[in-house]
Amino acid sequence: MWRYRLSRAITAVQYRGFKAVQSIVQHMPRPWAYALAVFAARFAWWFSPLARPRLEFNLKIACPELANDRNELRRISWLNFRNHAKAYADLMQLPLARVEAMRPRLKVDGWEYLEQARAHGRGVLVVSCHMGSYEVAAAIWSATLAPVSFFAEELEPRPLFEWYRDTRARLGISVLTLDYGGIRKVLDALRDQEMVITAIDRDITGTGYLMPFFGKLAPIPLGPAAIALRLGTPLFPVCVYRLPDDTYQVEVAPLIFAESTGNPRADQVKATQALLRRIEQFIQHHPEQWHVPHRIWAGSP
Amino acid sequence: MGDGRSKSGLETTLGIFMRVGLVSPYDFASPGGVNDHVRQLARRLTETGHEARIFAPSSRADVGFDKARFYRIGTPIAVPANDSVARITLSFHLANQVAAIVADERFDVLHFHEPLMPALPMTMLRMSTTANVGTFHAYARSNVGYYYGRPLLQPYLGHLHRAIAVSEPARAFVNRYFPDFPVRVIPNGIDLDVYNPDVTPIRHLRDDNLNILFVGRLEKRKGLGDLLRAYRAITTRIPHARLIIVGDGPLRGRAEAYIARHRLSNVLMAGYVPETVKPRYYTSADIFCAPATGAESFGIVLLEALASGLPVVATEVPGYMSVLESGKDSITVPPKNWRELAASLVILARDAELRRRLSDYALHKARRYSWDVVASEIVGVYQEARKALAAQPAVALEVSRVHNAV
Repeated sequence: MWRYRLSRAITAVQYRGFKAVQSIVQHMPRPWAYALAVFAARFAWWFSPLARPRLEFNLKIACPELANDRNELRRISWLNFRNHAKAYADLMQLPLARVEAMRPRLKVDGWEYLEQARAHGRGVLVVSCHMGSYEVAAAIWSATLAPVSFFAEELEPRPLFEWYRDTRARLGISVLTLDYGGIRKVLDALRDQEMVITAIDRDITGTGYLMPFFGKLAPIPLGPAAIALRLGTPLFPVCVYRLPDDTYQVEVAPLIFAESTGNPRADQVKATQALLRRIEQFIQHHPEQWHVPHRIWAGSP
Repeated sequence: MGDGRSKSGLETTLGIFMRVGLVSPYDFASPGGVNDHVRQLARRLTETGHEARIFAPSSRADVGFDKARFYRIGTPIAVPANDSVARITLSFHLANQVAAIVADERFDVLHFHEPLMPALPMTMLRMSTTANVGTFHAYARSNVGYYYGRPLLQPYLGHLHRAIAVSEPARAFVNRYFPDFPVRVIPNGIDLDVYNPDVTPIRHLRDDNLNILFVGRLEKRKGLGDLLRAYRAITTRIPHARLIIVGDGPLRGRAEAYIARHRLSNVLMAGYVPETVKPRYYTSADIFCAPATGAESFGIVLLEALASGLPVVATEVPGYMSVLESGKDSITVPPKNWRELAASLVILARDAELRRRLSDYALHKARRYSWDVVASEIVGVYQEARKALAAQPAVALEVSRVHNAV
């Protein structure tokens, strides 16, 4: 019982700490917020007991050349923490952010694929990885193209998740959780020709299917492919990354259509593998932006 | 003469082509009822073949409106007015800038919103030689400025060829100080393409909770304090209620402190929400609550709620009662009475059939306030103003003026 109480107390303190910092950062000019973020990133990079070893383990699998170059691995892992901290600063500034101010900071390559996906009239299932500030792209698309939903995990603690959800709602982004109710709403959203954004580089629910990811078996969620098969929605591989001038670049790849052959599991695996190949390319081009300090493969610290 | 002027005499959807200048005294970069009205009217006039330009002060260059059709005049400052804060420009050195633009544009009609508000509308009204139309939006129980400034303001009213008020209370307010001044009531409009029940909701808000929506600036006269007290009282009786507060303002800190102090659960402070997202909050809600304490002349938020098919719980302030029909589209309660507000919310929250009935009537009623209808009435007033200008005798040249000019 005391352990439960202690864990709740720690969680409450963590959330209050986050809120206190966030309430200051949201009023800061953007460069100041980034400066603070980089300062915090330096601490986290030096002192995190697990995040950095796990991230470096993952980076060595994604970019095998890093395994033999310790200095380059350290540089990429530091840049990774730095970019991720800046993404956190963006998140903390979101409650007062205006879409009009964000719009000039977003560049999109391959807009024609997005138009092509929308032209199918079955919604757009944007599939990506944990990279960059997706809120910026989602907020702009939600204001200018079609309503956008995030299909994402429920964060802990609950008040943090509610803050995260409410902040996105302000920008017209719905946050749908990875459960039965969430899936039902994802299907409704796609039927109403909306955009749903999700990531497949981590198996959050523990129900992933083992398949090669950077050549090594990892559990990967088949949900997006299953939805695409059911509704005929095109799968749209996208990544958003930060440029050196702190603007954002959206890079997209050609659409992937899940084809039904009568064997649902095989079809899901095939479509997901096609998606993973695209996601791997994104990550290999921008390893300093792919922030996943979590266990993906067996043997991770 | 520009392209637009060469179109004079052409027939448009809303009558003969006109070049219209719309003048707002308020910071165009800040959200507000008058600026929404001006923006929508300009859009509607343009869509129907007229040309519209907007004159307003602005705290930002980007105001979300076509820059070629927006003249940014003066820098706004915050001035306390009518239990609120008016962001207006008080610079009287605008005359030269404005005179040059007006001479170049050669408007057929200048439409002043709050024509007696310093400094932009008054400056432009004084120098205008075209047909002038004024729209009065404000309502208050009394106005010291109007009371003591009557002798100074009366000549400005003399420049207006036609006047409009957005509601009966707004008209009565003007006529209390200027009794013989003819004012016609034309309500605010609503864009039914933007606000309708088919707009996609914020999906995660459509869950098992019953959503009560408040939309407005967080300031004293909007009555958020009463709504928070009422919400606190109903949480035990309606445990699945969720309060969604859309808007920002000076009272935000106090509202958040109240929520934290009383540990109110299920309250969503959305803050400022982009105009493109706001309609989605209406379709995410089950009940709309407008608890203003007074000084509301109309309440565009009520129209937005009705057009989105929401049943309304509102206070019986004159401006709101000029829109609402208690028992048909809403439940109304006396202002500043949070207990009755709470009781009405409980009644509506527990009775889905009542909500449906009020909602059906609200949808039917909102059609009356469509911008199509409202804009055509305003264009009718423009034409009357132009006729009134044409009927005025030409100003005779005075010998002394000619002498001075020579």
